[in-house]
Amino acid sequence: MAKEPVRVLVTGAAGQIGYALVPMIARGVMLGADQPVILHMLDIPPAAEALNGVKMELVDAAFPLLKGVVATTDVVEACTGVNIAVMVGGFPRKEGMERKDVMSKNVSIYKSQATALEQHAAPNCKVLVVANPANTNALILKEFAPSIPAKNITCLTRLDHNRALGQISEKLNVQVSDVKNVIIWGNHSSTQYPDVNHATVKTPSGEKPVRELVKDDAWLNGEFITTVQQRGAAIIKARKLSSALSAASAACDHIRDWVLGTPEGTWVSMGVYSDGSYNAPAGVIYSFPVTCRNGEWTIVQGLAIDEFSRKKLDLTGAELTEEKELAYSCLS
Amino acid sequence: MAKEPVRVLVTGAAGQIGYALVPMIARGVMLGADQPVILNMLDIPPAAEALNGVKMELVDAAFPLLKGVVATTDAVEACTGVNVAVMVGGFPRKEGMERKDVMSKNVSIYKSQASALEQHAAPNCKVLVVANPANTNALILKEFAPSIPAKNITCLTRLDHNRALGQISEKLNVQVSDVKNVIIWGNHSSTQYPDVNHATVMTPSGEKPVRELVKDDAWLNGEFITTVQQRGAAIIKARKLSSALSAASAACDHIRDWVLGTPEGTWVSMGVYSDGSYNAPAGVIYSFPVTCKNGEWTIVQGLAIDEFSRKKLDLTGVELTEEKELAYSCLS
Repeated sequence: MAKEPVRVLVTGAAGQIGYALVPMIARGVMLGADQPVILHMLDIPPAAEALNGVKMELVDAAFPLLKGVVATTDVVEACTGVNIAVMVGGFPRKEGMERKDVMSKNVSIYKSQATALEQHAAPNCKVLVVANPANTNALILKEFAPSIPAKNITCLTRLDHNRALGQISEKLNVQVSDVKNVIIWGNHSSTQYPDVNHATVKTPSGEKPVRELVKDDAWLNGEFITTVQQRGAAIIKARKLSSALSAASAACDHIRDWVLGTPEGTWVSMGVYSDGSYNAPAGVIYSFPVTCRNGEWTIVQGLAIDEFSRKKLDLTGAELTEEKELAYSCLS
Repeated sequence: MAKEPVRVLVTGAAGQIGYALVPMIARGVMLGADQPVILNMLDIPPAAEALNGVKMELVDAAFPLLKGVVATTDAVEACTGVNVAVMVGGFPRKEGMERKDVMSKNVSIYKSQASALEQHAAPNCKVLVVANPANTNALILKEFAPSIPAKNITCLTRLDHNRALGQISEKLNVQVSDVKNVIIWGNHSSTQYPDVNHATVMTPSGEKPVRELVKDDAWLNGEFITTVQQRGAAIIKARKLSSALSAASAACDHIRDWVLGTPEGTWVSMGVYSDGSYNAPAGVIYSFPVTCKNGEWTIVQGLAIDEFSRKKLDLTGVELTEEKELAYSCLS
């Protein structure tokens, strides 16, 4: 017997990431090949015609799993009954804008979307914030939607996690599916810390630590980190547009592993409400290594943190605390 | 034991359709969730940096099925060893261009790509031409790659087929997965004939003919046809860009059904080398209803063609014959 459809909201759906994301959702990449979906797509009024064009294309693709499409500029209609919310919409940084201005615009958006979600989403709705500043947008959403469990509000660092896997696979010339257990700590920004100290590669003679195989600590502690941190800018330089394909794909991975569970022996990176694990600041959205089971994430505890890593974890934590203060100052 | 990777070429890969298509291929939408793939991506030198950006994003997405990516401006490198070729690259019509100019540019492109494919692709390579004028580009490719079996060279009318299914599903307010066996006859242009005379809908009381359920022949013979024929323009009007998402999805459906077979009792539409079935002109690429089995397509024979349909089939056939003559005149 076919499953009941799951309702998935995508905000900012008329944009680049939305356009890459919706066909992935409609094909079952996000929730499985046997899970029917209904798409809710939200964007702002200037994008209404383009959004309707996306809806038309979704109809034109005759996706077997897609059991309905709602395209709207009304946030209440968009949020009604949704089980999953992927928040791609936000105010992009424009040339000449100060950090405070970007923060201020986004804080307003996420405060109002928090209310709509809280009042209209289905119970236990899982939320993924993609729009930057992702961690702080997610925090604002959490603060202004108090009846949504804090554990249900996350932000995307899976893109950085996947980028780190990709860099290791290229360095070692191995299949990316044989690399696992990198960690992205902290903020989805240039202070993120891509950590390979617990990452492994599957080889003919079993799982081996990445550090052992790479044999180049200078690269792992230097260029590897900056490459992953700055990869977004590198994509923009090459494409003249930001990463839509890989961001959309990572959003699907984030939700899929959260809902369907992580494979045995494997963790992933998710920006989640911090409980102070690993001495990260509590009360911010901080990216940790997590496993997922029965629709719940759990921080992987007990991993050794060396001195080099400690400094990196603290640096990105300090930035998140500053962002939280800046966000709150925008609201008062 | 894991399958050997299949090598898939996408030409024009730095463009909009390519960007939508490559993540679909990398996720198994085209060849199945258990079929590893290697992507060969080709574009022209001005797009080399953007193409490399796409390659970077494919690495960043850490797709488990994607076992390699080749990004190149060299047609020989691109074609080497490919098992499936999706030809998205072509010369787009620009404002002020005459039909003869567009045809002339594309004929040159497809003549040279024919040589590269013939000399370097794997034996039994399956070819799908997407770039417009799709049918005639495919014909030119066939004519200049004589060692590629004519049956291996096809063009995309699955997008129109899927659009027709979508329009019927919206008209009847049924799930698109319950509608089947529409037919797109002829040219992927405004003379295409979307035919519902043999289409059915799965209802609680069994399969019912579309005509019987719609009860509106004026609509089926009028607005329905023109809506499907002109849908591309409607998408451009709404999005200010042409249909990338739905075209990419249809390309995946076309190849998947060709390689893995059509479901029992269901046919699809493909532009194939005409043998004169249904009195269509022989020796052009004409869209027919086909079933697929063991990697081969077969035209569904014996379907009744009424007088209204006969005129439509002939009209689009005449246009294809004219395009063939125009194409040849461009070459001499």
